[in-house]
Amino acid sequence: MSGPVVEVEGVGVRYRPYVERAPTLRRVIARRGLRKTEEVAALRDVSLQVVKGETMGLVGDNGSGKSTLLRVIARTMRPDAGRVTVRGETSTLLQLGAGFNLELSGRRNVFLSGLAHGMRYAEIRELFDEIVEFSGIAEAIDRPLKSYSSGMLSRLAFSISLAMRPDILLLDEVLAVGDAGFREKSRGAMRDLLARGGTVVVASHSLNMVAEMCDRAVWLAGGEVRALDGAGEVVEKYRAAVASAR
Amino acid sequence: MSTVTAGEPARLSGWRVYLRNLWRWREFCWFLAVSNLKARNASASLGLFWWVLNPLIMAAVYFLVFGLIFDGRRGDGDFIAWLVSGVFVFNYTATAMTSGANSILANGKLLVNIRFPRMVLPLSAVIETGIGFLFSVAIYYFIAWPADGVGPGWHLIWLVPAFAAHTVFNLGLAALTARLAIPFRDINNLLPHLTRLWLYLSPIIWPLSLLADRGGWLETAASYNPMFGLLTFYRTALMGRPWDGEALLIALAWTALLGAVGIVSFVRQEGNMVRFL
Repeated sequence: MSGPVVEVEGVGVRYRPYVERAPTLRRVIARRGLRKTEEVAALRDVSLQVVKGETMGLVGDNGSGKSTLLRVIARTMRPDAGRVTVRGETSTLLQLGAGFNLELSGRRNVFLSGLAHGMRYAEIRELFDEIVEFSGIAEAIDRPLKSYSSGMLSRLAFSISLAMRPDILLLDEVLAVGDAGFREKSRGAMRDLLARGGTVVVASHSLNMVAEMCDRAVWLAGGEVRALDGAGEVVEKYRAAVASAR
Repeated sequence: MSTVTAGEPARLSGWRVYLRNLWRWREFCWFLAVSNLKARNASASLGLFWWVLNPLIMAAVYFLVFGLIFDGRRGDGDFIAWLVSGVFVFNYTATAMTSGANSILANGKLLVNIRFPRMVLPLSAVIETGIGFLFSVAIYYFIAWPADGVGPGWHLIWLVPAFAAHTVFNLGLAALTARLAIPFRDINNLLPHLTRLWLYLSPIIWPLSLLADRGGWLETAASYNPMFGLLTFYRTALMGRPWDGEALLIALAWTALLGAVGIVSFVRQEGNMVRFL
């Protein structure tokens, strides 16, 4: 373990749902929606560091800001406040089926998704057999993606992300999909990634998985860091809070 | 290492870095365009032929209405060659605008997930449309020759610069519609009407002689239509019509202006796109 590969410093993200989601021309012309900006803070002054070789878990209720934090770390979204620094190649699996075209074959989609991640065509060709082998898709790889089950889709997406051998892997709740056998296989692959000095940040509602697989964890509540500690302790605290609220 | 700070220009910091990243994603850009063509091909039984059939049917309808019923030919011997070339060229721009606007909206998941220069998406949409357009140009003479005796010749050399300028022009427009469609979904409803109006204002379904008859300010105003110069240039290339240096200059000026405005305004908006999806 050495220096931090992900540094999040005082990050804040605000959504202005009424203005941003549907600012119709009429509203802009009437200048109504623009004035009453009802802001929703998705993240408030979040600071954390993830060091090389560790697995960081993100836990919290729905809407607590886990996905937004992952987007900010993936740098697909610019924060309204603060700074995010990432050192290394990142592979992301935040939403299922990103970059896939359901009309096309699995084979073509492996290339499409890999290229979207910034890989070279030649690289993907070399990794192709490994990706298909790991996903367990077998001969269905030449069938159009619309014939796949959601489990098959997630297996394929996960296999592509892993085959990239990223320095940092960002996952959102994807391990929950896929059958028991594949889940076991992906945990093994993640351990390999960590052994190589890779880093994983994973948001999950599966607290057992977080406690078992992660070194440290963050508990987010209302966009703020409620706890940041060893994964076991954070899960314990979160569980206690959920139990007492019931 | 890469740092993203609040309040920074919303892009992959700096034009040089941006262009380098665009270059890195060049294979994706091309592959995406070809894949979308393939997907379209797979979902319609006539597939790629729709790229030709669509403007062709459109041209046939305009010929029926404006050529035959209103007799807009006005003695122009090559009205069909004129009309079809105009419809094909205009169709490239109109399709690029619509698919540019859709390129961001339809790829929401991809934008949320992966960091890459977003310009790849409208660029890929324009490449896809451009391939379809070249496909339609390939069959142009199968219509123009039997109908009006307009055949290929050395003037076809001009097709290369005309297509290059037209593509930059369309890329600017596609980036602009994509940029506008993200906060304002209304654009998708507005676009068909705007393009139709633009089509009627362009020398496609009416011959130039119509303008010459009216003369004066109308002719001047029409020649500043962004489509006017490009169409004139294409007709030099496709039909061997005489050179018009002024029209060409106006076309190039529009290309530079629309290209720059579209691309710059799009790239500046990049960091905020995910919020609207």
